[in-house]
Amino acid sequence: MDINIYNTERKPTWCPGCGNFAIHVALKKALAELNISPSEAFISFDIGCNGNGADTVNTYAFKGLHGRAVALATGAHLANRKYTVIADQGDGACFHEGIDHLINAIKSNYDMTILIHDNQNFALTTGQATVTTKQGKKMYALPEGKPERDLDVNHFILSLKPSFFAKAYSGDPQQLTEIIKEGIEHKGCSVIQIAQSCPTYNKECTPQWFNEHIVKLETLQEYDKTSIDDALRLAKDMSQTGKIYTGIIHQDNTIPTFYDRLQSRKGIQSELVDEVREYDIRGLLKYCN
Amino acid sequence: MYLKRIIVKFGGESGQGINSVGTILTKSLNRAGYYTFSNREYPSLIKGGFANYQIDISNSSINSSSSKTNILCCMSERSLEEYITDVLPNGIVIYDGKELELTPSEEEYIKQNNIKVILIDSEEIAKENNAPPIMANAVLAGFIWKILKQNLEILNEAVEEMFEGKNIDMDAERACLQAGYNSPLYEPTLSEDIDIEELETSNNRKMTMTGNDAISLGALAGGMRAFFGYPMTPATSIFKFLGESANDTKILVKQAENEITAVQMTMGAMYMGTRAMTATSGGGFDLMCETISCSGMSETPLVIVVAQRIGSGTGVPTWTGSGDIIAATKIAHGDFPRCVIQIADAKSAFTLIQKAFNIADKYQLPVIVLTEKQIAEGLFSLDALPPNERIERGLQHGEKRYQLTTDGISPRWIPSKNQKPYLHTSDEHTEEGYSTENAQKVWEMSKKRTKKLEKLKAEIPEPEYFGSLDATTILVGSGNTKNPVLDIINTSLSNEDIGYLHYEYIYPVKTERLKELIAQGKRLILIENNETGQLGKLLTEETGYKFNEKLLKFDGRPFFIEDILNYLEKKEV
Repeated sequence: MDINIYNTERKPTWCPGCGNFAIHVALKKALAELNISPSEAFISFDIGCNGNGADTVNTYAFKGLHGRAVALATGAHLANRKYTVIADQGDGACFHEGIDHLINAIKSNYDMTILIHDNQNFALTTGQATVTTKQGKKMYALPEGKPERDLDVNHFILSLKPSFFAKAYSGDPQQLTEIIKEGIEHKGCSVIQIAQSCPTYNKECTPQWFNEHIVKLETLQEYDKTSIDDALRLAKDMSQTGKIYTGIIHQDNTIPTFYDRLQSRKGIQSELVDEVREYDIRGLLKYCN
Repeated sequence: MYLKRIIVKFGGESGQGINSVGTILTKSLNRAGYYTFSNREYPSLIKGGFANYQIDISNSSINSSSSKTNILCCMSERSLEEYITDVLPNGIVIYDGKELELTPSEEEYIKQNNIKVILIDSEEIAKENNAPPIMANAVLAGFIWKILKQNLEILNEAVEEMFEGKNIDMDAERACLQAGYNSPLYEPTLSEDIDIEELETSNNRKMTMTGNDAISLGALAGGMRAFFGYPMTPATSIFKFLGESANDTKILVKQAENEITAVQMTMGAMYMGTRAMTATSGGGFDLMCETISCSGMSETPLVIVVAQRIGSGTGVPTWTGSGDIIAATKIAHGDFPRCVIQIADAKSAFTLIQKAFNIADKYQLPVIVLTEKQIAEGLFSLDALPPNERIERGLQHGEKRYQLTTDGISPRWIPSKNQKPYLHTSDEHTEEGYSTENAQKVWEMSKKRTKKLEKLKAEIPEPEYFGSLDATTILVGSGNTKNPVLDIINTSLSNEDIGYLHYEYIYPVKTERLKELIAQGKRLILIENNETGQLGKLLTEETGYKFNEKLLKFDGRPFFIEDILNYLEKKEV
């Protein structure tokens, strides 16, 4: 499909050099290459810089509340599994306001894709610290630096035994597109953490800095993405060295999705959206008190 | 005064099985053709504490409890102490145990009121019939069934139906029912003294259900296909009904990680075009409030059931009240339209939850359905459920999702691969759904959404009036207050002619009928199960009329018919 059909008449409002440009282009490119039309995708946008791009993506979409993109996307996904459902959010929304949704989405293994635009700060509110901001870094209202330790995202996500966990970089839209495609095609909850440049509030992490720290997984020999042990070794390496490995860190296709585990929906071909009609409740009176 | 109502009350500790014996008797009485209203009061703990189960029995439909009782059956000393003074003159006290020591004051009350006291060791009788101690309750059920002069076969049938498919020794169960029924402790005077002869049955088997059962059934009847929940008393039994029946209904039932998730999932599912619902109580409802505001702004249909209990904070978790009227009508930031509906009983629950879905779909806004612990868990008798409502969704295709229209309602279509995609957004937006900060747009889009209320208000009915039009004293209320008031009106319990104006739709609220009563100079009494008269505040806001008389109760207990009768007797103008 032509990538332009995912564009709207609105233009992005991000700062020059913002990683969001590339992330949303990669997202559109992934949809186009997978032949998913604008009317066959649903994107749940969070509040934050990434969500400010909601106007510029032409699909069914909902720009909801801060931190709730995953929870809203889950309801949409369960109502109609024919849709490609994507939750698009930043590190603030994902790891602060909505961390419970991330945990439960991974554990439930809903068949959808979660994109985390990780720019290491709350940018839309002009640069407050998040859990991915480096400890000690001076941030908004923190002239002495961020006092809290930062979150080891890799160990955290791997501890939840995800069925798909990938890392990518906004400066490598080619690889990012491929990873998003893999995430969409994966049957289960795909979590993609995207290291995102933020030239306004994360000046330390320049393209050069990223290039020095990023290692593509494909350059590693004998890495088995289906092995959780390999993934954990990688996570340990990242926490010790500060390297960022990009690629599919872990994928496990043996975990059933939430929906597939539902006894009540076994063998049913229709979707919940197809089933809204008057229901004869006479056979249900036996369930009354 | 109590001619048409016989009351049986069980008292004991949580976990002693008073619910099971209460349910057995309720089911059996309905099978025999009586109308009942059963209610249980219990503490927020699993074992011990202090609980009761009360069955009010009548030959005409009743939906409320009396504060008095004809037969009190106690399974613990403390419950005897607590409830003895509720026993009516010529009543019966059945004490389940090996021995009973009465205090001097209890003895005095019993003597003065000609109360008969029977000591029965149900556990021992169960043992004699080779039944486990847990079946002692069946002995009590059989004994009371005999006092009520009912046919043992009906009791047997009811119990068999209740335990069908469960791993229970039915021979032992039947033996216990029979042993209780044929107990030598029974004397015919027991039956005579409680005027049981006054009850005439219509021999028409009734069905029983709680208000929460009826909400679940109504939602299913109206095409609800997903339920997202999180446990909170007294909403949780909706979850139970829908979960236990899911293999029949094939709906999706999901316990979310918290209330915020539950309501977000509901809204996401509604956006996609199915019908979904969530249910909670006060604290959980507070957590949902940001999503309610988002539903209002994004014009996404949403249905939330709020089962009220009394008090702010955690309050009194297992007790009733109606103190969330203001919260339901005002909660959440910004100006946006919503609809708030209050149910009163099983029948109205069944119908109004279907209306709620129709309103949410057609007007594209949040609908909050209020119930109360007393309705949610109270067991109602009914001849039949009302017919299903017709499903109305108001779907139509269009170019712009938030198109400005004369009635404020924009086209909404179910996401489909053949249709134009659209963005819902919690940002203020243009007709196309793009975020906007343009002053004129911000103004006109807000006005557009509010405008929807005009059409909604035209569609919803005026409050219903019950009783004689000549009545000069009129109670005004909503929710469960309808039940004791109507029981008084329908059984002519009050010495004076009273009327009742009952509100179901409390936002938007209609006040023409109320204004007519005000203009006629009627004596209006606001009756509410909260401290400040929250419905009254809404009505005052709308009409400017201030209620001079308020009958308010906020101790966690529902209005008993005596509360209202006493008020009317004492405060006659």
